[in-house]
Amino acid sequence: MKRSPIFLLLALCALFVTSCKDDEVPPEENEQETITNVTLTFTPDGGGTAVKATWVDADGNGAGKPVLSDITLAANTTYTMDISITNLIDPQNPENTTDEIDKEKNDHMFFFGWTNGLFTSPTGDGNIGKGFRDDPINYGDSVDDKGLPLGLETTWTTGAAATGTFQVILKHQPDGIKSATSDTTSGESDVDVTWNMTVQ
Amino acid sequence: MRRPVLVAFLLIVATSAIHAQSAQPATKDSCQHHFEGYIRDLSTRQPLPFATVQIENTNQGAVADEQGHFSFTNLCQNEFDVVVSSVGYKQAVHHHDPYHETPNIFLASDSITLQSVTVEGKSQPGQLFSGTVESLSSAEINNYHAQNLGDLASNLTGVSMVSTGQNVVKPMIHGLTSNRILIINNGVRHEFQSWGQEHAPEIDVSTVDNISVVKGAATVRYGPEALGGVLLINPPAMELRTDWQGKANLIGKSNGRSGEGSIQLQKGYRRIALLAQAAYTSQGDLHAPDYILSNTGKRESSLSMGTRYHYRSLDFSAYFSHFAQNLGILRGSITGNLEDLANALESKQPQPTSSFTYAINNPHQEVQHDMVKLNGKWNGQNQSVDVQYAFQNNQRQEYDVRRGENNARPAIDLTLATHTLDMEWKHPELLAWQGSVGLQLLYQDNNNRPGTNTIPFVPNFNNSRLGVYWIESKLLGATRLEAGIRYDYQFSSIRGRSYDNSIYRNEISYQNMTATLGLVREVKKGHVFRTNIGTAWRPPNISELYSYGKHQASIEYGLWRYSTNENNEITTTNVLNQHDKAVPSEVGIKWIGTYELTTGKVQSEVTGYVNYIRNYIYTKPAGITQTIRGAFPFFIYDQDDAVFAGVDASIRLAHTASTSSALQGSFLWAKDVTNNENFVGLPPMQLQYKFSQQLPKFAFFNGANWGFAVNYTFLQFQTPRTITVREILEANKNNTPLFAEDNNDFDVLPAPSGYLLAQASWSGRIDHFELGLQVRNIFNKAYRNYTDRLRYFADETGRNFIVSVNYSF
Repeated sequence: MKRSPIFLLLALCALFVTSCKDDEVPPEENEQETITNVTLTFTPDGGGTAVKATWVDADGNGAGKPVLSDITLAANTTYTMDISITNLIDPQNPENTTDEIDKEKNDHMFFFGWTNGLFTSPTGDGNIGKGFRDDPINYGDSVDDKGLPLGLETTWTTGAAATGTFQVILKHQPDGIKSATSDTTSGESDVDVTWNMTVQ
Repeated sequence: MRRPVLVAFLLIVATSAIHAQSAQPATKDSCQHHFEGYIRDLSTRQPLPFATVQIENTNQGAVADEQGHFSFTNLCQNEFDVVVSSVGYKQAVHHHDPYHETPNIFLASDSITLQSVTVEGKSQPGQLFSGTVESLSSAEINNYHAQNLGDLASNLTGVSMVSTGQNVVKPMIHGLTSNRILIINNGVRHEFQSWGQEHAPEIDVSTVDNISVVKGAATVRYGPEALGGVLLINPPAMELRTDWQGKANLIGKSNGRSGEGSIQLQKGYRRIALLAQAAYTSQGDLHAPDYILSNTGKRESSLSMGTRYHYRSLDFSAYFSHFAQNLGILRGSITGNLEDLANALESKQPQPTSSFTYAINNPHQEVQHDMVKLNGKWNGQNQSVDVQYAFQNNQRQEYDVRRGENNARPAIDLTLATHTLDMEWKHPELLAWQGSVGLQLLYQDNNNRPGTNTIPFVPNFNNSRLGVYWIESKLLGATRLEAGIRYDYQFSSIRGRSYDNSIYRNEISYQNMTATLGLVREVKKGHVFRTNIGTAWRPPNISELYSYGKHQASIEYGLWRYSTNENNEITTTNVLNQHDKAVPSEVGIKWIGTYELTTGKVQSEVTGYVNYIRNYIYTKPAGITQTIRGAFPFFIYDQDDAVFAGVDASIRLAHTASTSSALQGSFLWAKDVTNNENFVGLPPMQLQYKFSQQLPKFAFFNGANWGFAVNYTFLQFQTPRTITVREILEANKNNTPLFAEDNNDFDVLPAPSGYLLAQASWSGRIDHFELGLQVRNIFNKAYRNYTDRLRYFADETGRNFIVSVNYSF
């Protein structure tokens, strides 16, 4: 009388030990947060070969180091620079992040910094850092809904021969953080890359 | 390997069943039962002397002594009703059964409307006599108005809390937390995504009736992971033969403008008892003394129902609970790269800070936990068999600040289903040895749910675990000796995705023997010494083996997700397994000793402990990686040996019949002994003084009491070195390998300075109602808590006024 429920339970626990093998693999996810490739395209005004600078980090969040190409521009030339951002972490699913950023221009803004003397326009060394938001940058593309710049397209006029660095920061400033005064100390950095640059 | 253990256990249980049957018809020495208890005044909780106790339908009676203690010996039955009466008090009928020893019967005075109640004595929580145990009663819990379980548990000496802001709080016992302590909720091992420091246990504090901490290594009884200790949490007991009892609570708090409501109903018939509880909390943004903590609102709801059926020597119970949370996390704690982090640390207040709102935006966590428990117990002559099955389902969704429509998708979306089956046989006393043997089985299935648009941080896995234990104790004069032994086997099957979506798989098993040895000695009347030495273990958690990538503000790689070459460089391209890199389980040995002194007016306790843990798994910085978002430090999991030692002390003094004081403190010393280094984020020394006084009747109040508490938290001096974010950025710019020569842990800010917090409370009773007023952080002190991961970004909460109304019948 007392024994039967115990045996039932033992049968149950035997079932536990040899429990059915589950072989469910996590779903394949389209990794959208990662960016693996950034390309700057400098197109000279009035024609000529465009200069491309790339930044490639094939393993995304892995410990592997990114590969950069140096930028070489001609002296005393005006360029239109376009920024292209893509995610190729999964070669089967390439992703164009540029369009996504353009769609969300109200929440994004590019900031630039360079060694003083590389350009005659804009002058100075860029708008990165606290309080430097309004330093000169030739934002060329359409503005966002509040009339604030985005920066996917900008124009640059080089000066005489010089060498230095060129930094691009993309700030994600959602939830109303992006304003007429928000600088690089607000929001999160989606892109922060520095290239070596030569003007010759 | 598994089979022989199972067969051995089959034999033990089968023998016990046969033994039980043969023992059943014994009659001649069945008039050996013993029953004792205490009678107290419901209002004052003081002993009530000279009450009469009568066993119903017999002529057997007894009178309580001066301490309110009564006892019966040589009883022929072990289940009956007793009638307790005393002049000026309402009569109480208590149903006694052999499951509950030593009841505390609280008689209500004729002058108040409350009913007399019985609080049944429990067998020593944790069932290990020699393990140091500390508890909070239901009355104490009511007074705390705790925000969450971690907050509540931190009122126990030796228990502290680690938090990620104000809403995500985990209990820590003697410096260990997460999957190094166990939470036994309503008799069931609480299973959740315990690996992350930002994953709090999903237990509603408003349904907790009592909470205890077992501070020793209680692995032998509860299974792997109990290296630091065990928290035992219980809802109200389901008593038979009680009238309808109910409680309704409304609490309002000024900080966060929160409202909380809870109800509880109970009824006990002759054979059936019922219990139902429900609670809801809504909280808006909290505030620190100088600013609003944006996005710190929360919503919580819970529902639980239980029933118990009792028939002769059988007792069955079924229990269901549901708990759902939506927890906001401080918006200003979200940073991108090191430059962003430096900006956040230099900001006077967290950015962005907006105006007060109840709305919860990203980042936030949506968590659910459901439990179904079925329990059956057979109680025989001095023995019992307890069988319990439980199913738990835990869902966790974490939302980060992301781009566009990904904000509406969780970045982590996990579901964890756990089945547990526990069986225990308490055998009849044999040659003065009391003891029990038990079998515990666990089957767990963890899956990532699709749609996160990010590679899963942890893989899918299944765990099957078997544990058998045997604990014996014997009384030798004034000393009780205790010994226990346990064997565990765990098998895990793992399937995950690497960074490029390629699939990896593994199967791995761990096994271990653990043992405990202890004694309790009554040195002289009122002086008790307990000591226990026990081993404990836990297999590495799946996240410690396989985590990969950015989680919150750091990038981390699990033990099998990185390898180090001869130049000390880290590569993370391959997924390793046990053949590439051995990862032994963590094994701890903990000694704990407690001296208790109890006299009429003084109750004091000193506890010392030393916990040595081999292969302690922790994270350490391994370098700076350049990602598209800029520079990030990255951390790797590693194993070394660690020691945690410390002292807890408390003293309670009854100054007069109505006033009392309590002083308690704790100190922890911890070290990574392999590298002779300190750990980050361990609790500093703490001291607390409490005073309380009962006030006589006045106006329309039947009674009232007031009290205050001051709590001083010292500066933590055991910290690793400080390397500021600017220093890391500078090193990165100059290509200086910052962690190549010294990869010991570091912190980006020094530990915050010590602080004093004060709180005061008053409560008064009018018939069925109790009105409570409380002020926390009276002086509106701005402070930062070293064990809060958001200490880098914001102060803790400021002054908080709490008003509560409690109706009970």
